[in-house]
Amino acid sequence: MWPFIARSLEVATILLIAAIGELLNQRSGVINVGIEGLMLLGAAAGFITASTWGLIPAFIIGMIIGGLFGLIHAILSTSLKVNQVVSGMGIWLFAMGFVTYWADRYSGPLPRGVVSPRIYELSPMFFIALIIVVVIWFVLSKTHLGLKIKSVGENPFAAEVSGVKVIRTRYLCTVIGGMLAGLAGAFLSTTYLGAWSHLPTKGLGWIAFALVMFSLWRPMILLGGALTFGFIWQFAISPETIYAGIPAPLPILRMLPFIATIVVLVIISREKFRKKWALSKPEALGEPYIKE
Amino acid sequence: MISLEALKLKLERIPVVSGGQAVRISLLSLVFSFIIFSIFLSIEGANPIDAYTNIFSFAFDSNLGLPTTLHRGLFLLFSTLAFIVPYSARLWNVGMEGQFYLGTIGAFAVAYSLPTLHPALLIPLMLLSGALFGAGYGALAGYLRGKLNVNEVVGCLMLNNIAFWLVYLLTVGGPWAGIAESTSRPLPPNAHAPIIFYTPFTSYLAVGIAIVLYIFLSKSVLGYKIRVLGNSPMAAQHVGINAPRTYILVMTIGGAIAGLSGYHMWAGDPAFLMIPRPEAYKAIGDLTYWGLIIGLVCLLNPVAAIPTSVFIGSIMVGSTVLVRRLRLPFGLDVLFLGLVSITFAAFQFFYMYRIRRMK
Repeated sequence: MWPFIARSLEVATILLIAAIGELLNQRSGVINVGIEGLMLLGAAAGFITASTWGLIPAFIIGMIIGGLFGLIHAILSTSLKVNQVVSGMGIWLFAMGFVTYWADRYSGPLPRGVVSPRIYELSPMFFIALIIVVVIWFVLSKTHLGLKIKSVGENPFAAEVSGVKVIRTRYLCTVIGGMLAGLAGAFLSTTYLGAWSHLPTKGLGWIAFALVMFSLWRPMILLGGALTFGFIWQFAISPETIYAGIPAPLPILRMLPFIATIVVLVIISREKFRKKWALSKPEALGEPYIKE
Repeated sequence: MISLEALKLKLERIPVVSGGQAVRISLLSLVFSFIIFSIFLSIEGANPIDAYTNIFSFAFDSNLGLPTTLHRGLFLLFSTLAFIVPYSARLWNVGMEGQFYLGTIGAFAVAYSLPTLHPALLIPLMLLSGALFGAGYGALAGYLRGKLNVNEVVGCLMLNNIAFWLVYLLTVGGPWAGIAESTSRPLPPNAHAPIIFYTPFTSYLAVGIAIVLYIFLSKSVLGYKIRVLGNSPMAAQHVGINAPRTYILVMTIGGAIAGLSGYHMWAGDPAFLMIPRPEAYKAIGDLTYWGLIIGLVCLLNPVAAIPTSVFIGSIMVGSTVLVRRLRLPFGLDVLFLGLVSITFAAFQFFYMYRIRRMK
């Protein structure tokens, strides 16, 4: 039982790190639908680095690559005012091609000796993820910087008038969001999977993206969502540890996380929640800031 | 941060980009991505000019790549049209992948249950069933968006992943499993698409749909309503356009078109004539996202999408020679496509702005 829980906490870690980054950049008004692509890039960079230099450099390189493509998204969507969905999709399509070219030749498990440390079978990265969430929650809700970030996401024009640098804030949040997505990817390939196979994220990035939407942009709700979906995802992969002889075939189980996402989206879109949702949604989300 | 002021440049907003400008911008972005890809080619020790010559001579040689180029290019046209209709109402249909899978299921279900039916009946039935399955799946995303207010990008992507596993359920060890590991049974010979002048007849169907959609979107009342809703939801509300119903309608049309491509893809290419193993059908499913890029590059013009799709198809097919003929590393061909897509996305900037020197 415990190994199963440890594994699902690791999936929750991946979701949490990626989603908290996305939450941060959405709070500043930038949607990044390329999060799956950023995770792929981070995963490939991390995996290749880990094979030669070990885990810590892998995480750092994963973050750098993620941040770099976060920066590209920031340049496209903030400075060049390209539609954020188009820019994110472009980055995702690029990532699928680039990662196939770059990392598929290293397909297979990590070399012996590159083993991630585990405390009672759980990677310490879980606790780092919790710390990241608390830090981002603290910054967003308790600090002056957080107020600035939220004001840029709500009403960039008012924010600019009151002296907040809109463009700079959005760059900052998008790059940090990209770094966290890259880190999540590196953790996925080096620790959770410990091996490279063709395009390993398998939709996790999209789940993380959806988690942000139904967290009402609040880090603590996001934490609950990530834990729940980590469990569902891991259950779909190894159900027999919980329920021996489960009658459902594998493909049906693998659909579960995606079906669950739609169900949650439908529930929170109901009239009762919709008002609350509309209130907590960053007002300028997805809108480029165009100074006239 | 890019500071234009420091470079003595300023941005000037373009109210409406003309077709001619769009063509110029697209060609420019292609040149740009070709230059970037040359760097990768050089790193791998290939001569870029030589590589590009190989790519396009293969893609357009009627004895070699041309049939596949047309087939894949018109497959992309289906995806593009499936994107254009919903996007005219400013709905992001990124569910072409799932609608294509459902179309596949619809078409194959007919072929497997009526394998001995005369082709003149069987093929139209397969197309119809594929379109219906795709339309239903599109309508589901449209219903989620229109009635339940679920964001269509997230909704569509979840549906895509579900559809991927649905096909998996049917083919890998499922009721449609073939003798070979993890592919489906071959299609009955009656279901194979007739080839007319290098390409299956469904290619002409795609071109026909493009022309009909062009007229529908620009000349018909309904098309006009869809565009009003896309350009200004407020104005649409004032003139009494039912937004939820229109959202479901456009997604249904989009889904039906994407569903047709399920038949076109597997029954039209002699290399398949079945559903291949999951990685292979997923790789084709991933191509459907090109519909978004091509649709936007063509300014949502269905007719302009015809040559653009074929051209992207030629890159897809032609660049496989890098691996097969020039013995370059695996994945270089998909990298090329990725580069083209990200530059197209970046060059969307020039659809909105012009850079002027400050006086």
